[in-house]
Amino acid sequence: MTSIISIKNLSKTFRGADGVEVHALENISLDIPEGEFVSLIGPSGCGKSTLLRMIADLIQPTGGQLTINGKTPQQARKDREYGFVFQSATLYEWRTVIKNVELPLEIMKHSKDERRARAREMLKLVELGDFEEKYPWQLSGGMQQRVSIARALAFQPRLLLMDEPFGALDEMTRERMNNELLRIWTAMPEMTVVFVTHSISEAVYLSSRVVVMSPRPGRIAEVIDIDLPRPRGSATRDLDQFFHLTSRVRHALRQGVGLGIDE
Amino acid sequence: MAAATERIEPNARAERPPRDSSGMRPLLSSILIIVALCLLWEGLKSFSKSVDYALTVGETTIDLSLFNDTQLPHLGDILGAFSEPSQRNGPPLYAMLLENALYTLWAAVRGFVIGGVIGFALAILFAHSRLLQRGLLPYVVASQTVPILAIAPMVVIWMGRAGALEWSVPIIAAYLTFFPVTIYTLRGLTSIPSTALELMQSYAAGWWDILIKLRLPNALPQIFTALKISATASVVGAIIGELPSGIQTGLGIAILNFSRYYNQSPPRLFATILMAGLLGILFFAVIAGIERLVVRWRAEVAS
Ligand SMILES: Nc1ncnc2c1ncn2[C@@H]1O[C@H](COP(=O)(O)OP(=O)(O)OP(=O)(O)O)[C@@H](O)[C@H]1O
Ligand SMILES: [Mg+2]
Repeated sequence: MTSIISIKNLSKTFRGADGVEVHALENISLDIPEGEFVSLIGPSGCGKSTLLRMIADLIQPTGGQLTINGKTPQQARKDREYGFVFQSATLYEWRTVIKNVELPLEIMKHSKDERRARAREMLKLVELGDFEEKYPWQLSGGMQQRVSIARALAFQPRLLLMDEPFGALDEMTRERMNNELLRIWTAMPEMTVVFVTHSISEAVYLSSRVVVMSPRPGRIAEVIDIDLPRPRGSATRDLDQFFHLTSRVRHALRQGVGLGIDE
Repeated sequence: MAAATERIEPNARAERPPRDSSGMRPLLSSILIIVALCLLWEGLKSFSKSVDYALTVGETTIDLSLFNDTQLPHLGDILGAFSEPSQRNGPPLYAMLLENALYTLWAAVRGFVIGGVIGFALAILFAHSRLLQRGLLPYVVASQTVPILAIAPMVVIWMGRAGALEWSVPIIAAYLTFFPVTIYTLRGLTSIPSTALELMQSYAAGWWDILIKLRLPNALPQIFTALKISATASVVGAIIGELPSGIQTGLGIAILNFSRYYNQSPPRLFATILMAGLLGILFFAVIAGIERLVVRWRAEVAS
């Protein structure tokens, strides 16, 4: 299978205003094949967002190579290869729900009719068809995040980058959103997802691979294949294999942060 | 799937209640405040009169002549002055004031538009060029420390030379109005949440799209704040601009004339001042009305 993301010896050092250097990431190497669902998990500050933002060309690496679909990240961004979902929904408050979803299509110069039709379709996909003309403040947090997913999918990118998209949601809503995301991903078999999370069960439930990271400096501690059967559903969480995989991830996380730290 | 089981109907959720649509409450409270101020005005006058304009507290005597009928006419006399002739055999004062107020308003509106356009253009320029902002913004600020009274005669002279004397008053008004527009618009254009900007970058959006689809809408509430300040400032600027202009009409000229004859008829000056205040409020209210139409997403939010 071909890699859509290819990362070699990537590192990132931030230089603060006081001249102090922070080694956010060191020597990251990772290949992500097309069509995979990959989660990045690790303790706070281990560089998950930094890695995702380098893939998105929102910040530049200080060492190593990174290609997306064979291109530089900058070229990939200019070619609109990816959609980005932030931790906060980041909807424009002056736009209605449907106009928010149309935003990328406007910038990419799609025709008016096509914009409307595509935005409608995406809102149906995230089950917000009845909320087209609402303003963002009229929606709950989970609904807002669904709009932002619809917006990221509207121009059919081959890559979906998500930085803790459900981090601010309660457990119930989060599980529901997980199912919706899996449904959407299944409906778009070509699409690759890179998903940052703090939640072990979320990572295992969703992913085909979980990348466990360790802090100071950020490194990849272990890559765990998740060979749970698909389609996944509430029964998946009751499988022995699910428990087995979550404890493997938990173990890798604990190894990563050092044995001095308890559960 | 689970999603279907707990679906929320449209309208079911509104974290912030829609604003009171009747609009009666603000009207009622402003009427109450006006009534209270009138009572205070007349109350102070009658109290001062009852103690013969001198209040003795222990050793000290406070002079209350400020509240006598020449310094502070009765409200009834001020209102009455509106219907009396403004000069012998002339039209009633209200007609004369209305004519002058319209003249001043027209100059103020022209000044408001000129100042608004210049202020807006400067803000757009500064938002896109750090260099220009660093280089020019200090002068923009400094311009406002020069008193308008010092600038006004110069503008009149220049405009007279240029053969465009009728534009001197609007330009003096514009001098007061461009500044808030520049400052507030610049802040609105540049104070953008970083993820909102990164979203645009992720689409590889150009500066024009970022300006039109993010910076400007983000700045709209601040732009309207500036326009409301500028609306009232343009009336003040026009009134002051009339003084050295040599023009014979306008509220500024009326204020000048009535203050000259103050001792003969104090209520006429107060009536003129009242008119000037009403003019500013009117202009302000028009802008506020437009704001409510344009900034709709906020109008629904405001509590
Ligand atoms: N712009 C920046 N300037 C300086 N240091 C930064 C900057 N951005 C991130 N860092 C540092 O880089 C490290 C990694 O940050 P990053 O945000 O990638 O972590 P994270 O894994 O996403 O954490 P979290 O789970 O809390 O979101 C941290 O130590 C952080 O302080
Ligand atoms: Mg992060």
